[in-house]
Amino acid sequence: MALNPMDIYKLLPKTNCKKCGEATCMSFAFKLLNRERKLEECTPLYEDKKYERQRKKLEEMLKPLEEATETGLIVDEGLCTGCGNCVVVCPVHVEKDPKGAAVGKGITIDDPILRVEDGAVKVINMQACRRYGKNRVLCVVCRENCPTDAIRFLEG
Amino acid sequence: MSFVCPGCSCLCDDIEIVDGRILHACRRGEEIFEKYKENRAKPMVKGKEVDIDSAIEEATEVLKDSKNTVIYGMDTTTVEAQQLGIELAEKLNAYIDDNSSFCLGEFVEAILRKELPTTTLEDVRDRAYVMVYWGANPFHSLSRHMSRYSYYPRGAKRPRGYEEDRFLVVVDVRRSETAKLAKKNAKFIQVDNDDELVDSFFKVMEGKAAKYAKEAGIILNEMKKSDLNVIFGGLGLKYGLKDLGKFVEMVRKMNEVAPLYFIPAGFHANMRGFNETLFEKTGYVNKYSFKDGKGDVDFAFTSLLQNGKVDTAVIIGTDPVSSLPYDVASKLKEVKTIVIDPRMSPTARVADIIIPSAVSGIEMGGTMVRSDGARIKLEVIEERDVNDIYILKKIEEGL
Ligand code: SF4
Ligand code: SF4
Ligand code: SF4
Ligand code: SF4
Repeated sequence: MALNPMDIYKLLPKTNCKKCGEATCMSFAFKLLNRERKLEECTPLYEDKKYERQRKKLEEMLKPLEEATETGLIVDEGLCTGCGNCVVVCPVHVEKDPKGAAVGKGITIDDPILRVEDGAVKVINMQACRRYGKNRVLCVVCRENCPTDAIRFLEG
Repeated sequence: MSFVCPGCSCLCDDIEIVDGRILHACRRGEEIFEKYKENRAKPMVKGKEVDIDSAIEEATEVLKDSKNTVIYGMDTTTVEAQQLGIELAEKLNAYIDDNSSFCLGEFVEAILRKELPTTTLEDVRDRAYVMVYWGANPFHSLSRHMSRYSYYPRGAKRPRGYEEDRFLVVVDVRRSETAKLAKKNAKFIQVDNDDELVDSFFKVMEGKAAKYAKEAGIILNEMKKSDLNVIFGGLGLKYGLKDLGKFVEMVRKMNEVAPLYFIPAGFHANMRGFNETLFEKTGYVNKYSFKDGKGDVDFAFTSLLQNGKVDTAVIIGTDPVSSLPYDVASKLKEVKTIVIDPRMSPTARVADIIIPSAVSGIEMGGTMVRSDGARIKLEVIEERDVNDIYILKKIEEGL
């Protein structure tokens, strides 16, 4: 369930009124997706009653964005069974925790990216993820090995 | 300090508790640590609450009067308690059985009789290349099996783990969650009939055509790359096979191609412990009658109930009312039932006598046997004096 700017754009007023500070609704849609702008900045959506349904849909659609971490990684704890696959496969963990996660044990480093806590995986230190920062790469290893599709990335 | 999770036969020994948070346990395991205080059984005799010693005394009296007793369960208690349970059965000339008689008991028996070659999960982690999950979906019942011991971890001789150093095979009647993980270096074989796959392995080794010739050929070829390959067999395999002997023979024959081992993938934490403890004593792994001095299908808990062969059932740490078909479980009404369990299970609710005990691995230490036969020492978080050992000893002394 990846979000894309077109789906967002379709629900905006599409008037290019510039009240949000963007030149076009399309560019506002892009910035929403990158979390550089917030929906509330499109004031017509809130002021004009005729947009109410669209606004509600947008709010629903953008909800995962708020839950997502900086790297766009979202864990659905309800789906997660705590199997630990993601923790063990993560290449960053393998490198930093050769005697723990790398060999299948509970992760031993203090600031792992992911750790199973209380039966479900928690995001602890997103900064260490390879999808983060200037030299980021589009790693999807944790998602690929999750049996429950509990891990998603915003951009698909 | 690390704790051992008694949640399933993986017996993960790396569980930590930090600031009240339970680390590394899967959801099932975490619930045991988190909720062991909930839904506790109370000592009761015929629906009336009594003190614990009265409940034990009452149970002892019932057992003295009983002519045909069955002791059933003990798959979630320790080996030490299992030994006492078996002693009690012997003293009472009783039947004894556990969940393994409709689970993986036969496979464990074949291992103990040295008909199926086996290995340890540590060796699997360090050395295994081809690993076949056959009728086993660890996602459901052994959540950490793949991440701790098999496909995902890096091992001494498998430094690249699943990325290059493993070959995963999943055999199932449907595309299970585990099957979905069979992507790269992997093969999912959807079977309608497990015997046909067994047959295909034979035929391919003989150079003949077969239904799954392509798949069997690939697997046999991959196996040659390693001195350790393993089949994890689950309930799907047990119920899919018409003839266990043929499967055993297949494993033996495949060992002429390359080393192949078998490890049962059953769920109950200490089912293997029960099988081993009874086997040491009697030469049988389950459904045993001390009166007859042998094991037999007629002595399975379900058969005994269905055929009206017992007047008293001692049910220890298991919940037949939830796990057995209704028409079997409903027969429990016709016998006297003594339930020894930490929890107020549905079976405890219909029991004549309830003796509350301790949760193994949380409130009682001791030993459990992992699915591969490794003996694991349990830690205690909060000791409870009235445990299975105390209860079984007291009953035996009272007889
Ligand atoms: S304020 Fe709303 S309608 Fe106006 S340009 Fe921005 S997004 Fe479009
Ligand atoms: S995206 Fe890659 S680096 Fe980031 S947590 Fe997942 S596996 Fe680790
Ligand atoms: S792989 Fe998926 S189910 Fe397993 S711990 Fe990670 S998020 Fe949870
Ligand atoms: S896999 Fe089994 S032993 Fe390991 S944490 Fe989960 S329930 Fe406990």
